[in-house]
Amino acid sequence: MINLLTGIDSTSSALDAERIRMDVIAENIANANVTKDVDGKPYQRQEVVFESMLRAQQDSDAPDAGSQTVQIARVQRDARPPRMVYNPGHPDANAQGMVAMPNINIHEEMVDMIASSRSYEANLAVVKNARAMAMQALSIGRHS
Amino acid sequence: MDALSAMKMATTQPAGGFPANSMKELASVTTSIPPAELQQLSSVNSDTPLQTSAPISSGSGANFENMLGGLVNDVAQKQAAAGSAVTGLLSGQNVSLHQAMISMEEANISFQMMVEVRNRLLDSYQELMRMQI
Amino acid sequence: MIDALFTDSDYVATKKMLDVTLLRHQAIASNLANVETPNYKRLDVSPSFEAQLRQAVAGRDSSEIASLQPALAVDNNAISGRADGNTVQLETEMLKLNQNTVENTLETQLVSGSLARLRLAITGKG
Repeated sequence: MINLLTGIDSTSSALDAERIRMDVIAENIANANVTKDVDGKPYQRQEVVFESMLRAQQDSDAPDAGSQTVQIARVQRDARPPRMVYNPGHPDANAQGMVAMPNINIHEEMVDMIASSRSYEANLAVVKNARAMAMQALSIGRHS
Repeated sequence: MDALSAMKMATTQPAGGFPANSMKELASVTTSIPPAELQQLSSVNSDTPLQTSAPISSGSGANFENMLGGLVNDVAQKQAAAGSAVTGLLSGQNVSLHQAMISMEEANISFQMMVEVRNRLLDSYQELMRMQI
Repeated sequence: MIDALFTDSDYVATKKMLDVTLLRHQAIASNLANVETPNYKRLDVSPSFEAQLRQAVAGRDSSEIASLQPALAVDNNAISGRADGNTVQLETEMLKLNQNTVENTLETQLVSGSLARLRLAITGKG
């Protein structure tokens, strides 16, 4: 693969990872009020775990040895217990009138979404800069 | 840029598609001038504006031929370096775009240098020929 | 004779610094990609290499400058402001990104200018 944009492996991996994270956050927000998921229990919040990896096909004496890409290691369920809300009229209310709602805090989700979006924008800026540098390089031999 | 335009760019510069005939043409400049006259050339050549770093002694004409041969070799080396930089870039090895562009431009300049030396040489020779009785 | 055209120490130094900006961009790309990764430590061009380069440039020795190999290293001066041990700070990294791109542009233009002048000297036209 031609390496015209420097660092593109790291940056593209980050853009993929952040997009997946955004999808997970969107799913959490959409399911914030689901009291009966497919397994009969309230929807359990999902979260992503990032991990970094040394770039593939790197030899240890190349100058860029050490630079890393990122990936989503897994999407796991948040183990926190569901929120109990008093709502006796709800079809899923138990004997005490309490409903088990998903363990999702909207504010937390919004903060995560902002962080994810900032990280995505930052990586887009990295690609833009790499492209600007490549265009500069192409004008090296150009005579006016 | 995609591989096709990069290849096109590489081959329109002497770096990628270095024409073998111009090298031969240059080599033939030295062989078409008789050695005795080459020797005379080397002694009058010192006032051409294009000075070389090694002083051209008025010794044997072989000195002059060696210099030209060395020049051709150096230029060929530069061209080869540029070619391998471009192929390294296109095949995804660790060559950066900047390095490849700089190599190509240096190879072009070396080639230009050689062409100018050849032109000056021919001009001096022709002027010399005109001067003789 | 051809080699003498390209062995001016300033020219060689500028080319080497151009290589360094490309390497630094890779470090910054890696850092910004991993801004959310727990326990990731930020990378930069190794300070020992920077010191070597400065010395070699001051000594004006072209072959020494050309033989230097830049390398990346973990930045030991970066502290983590977060609980997960990640030492990347987004704003600092973005500043470094922009600065590095400008430095790259500068050095590319310097190299390009040197080559254009050389071409002009040899052929008498641009």
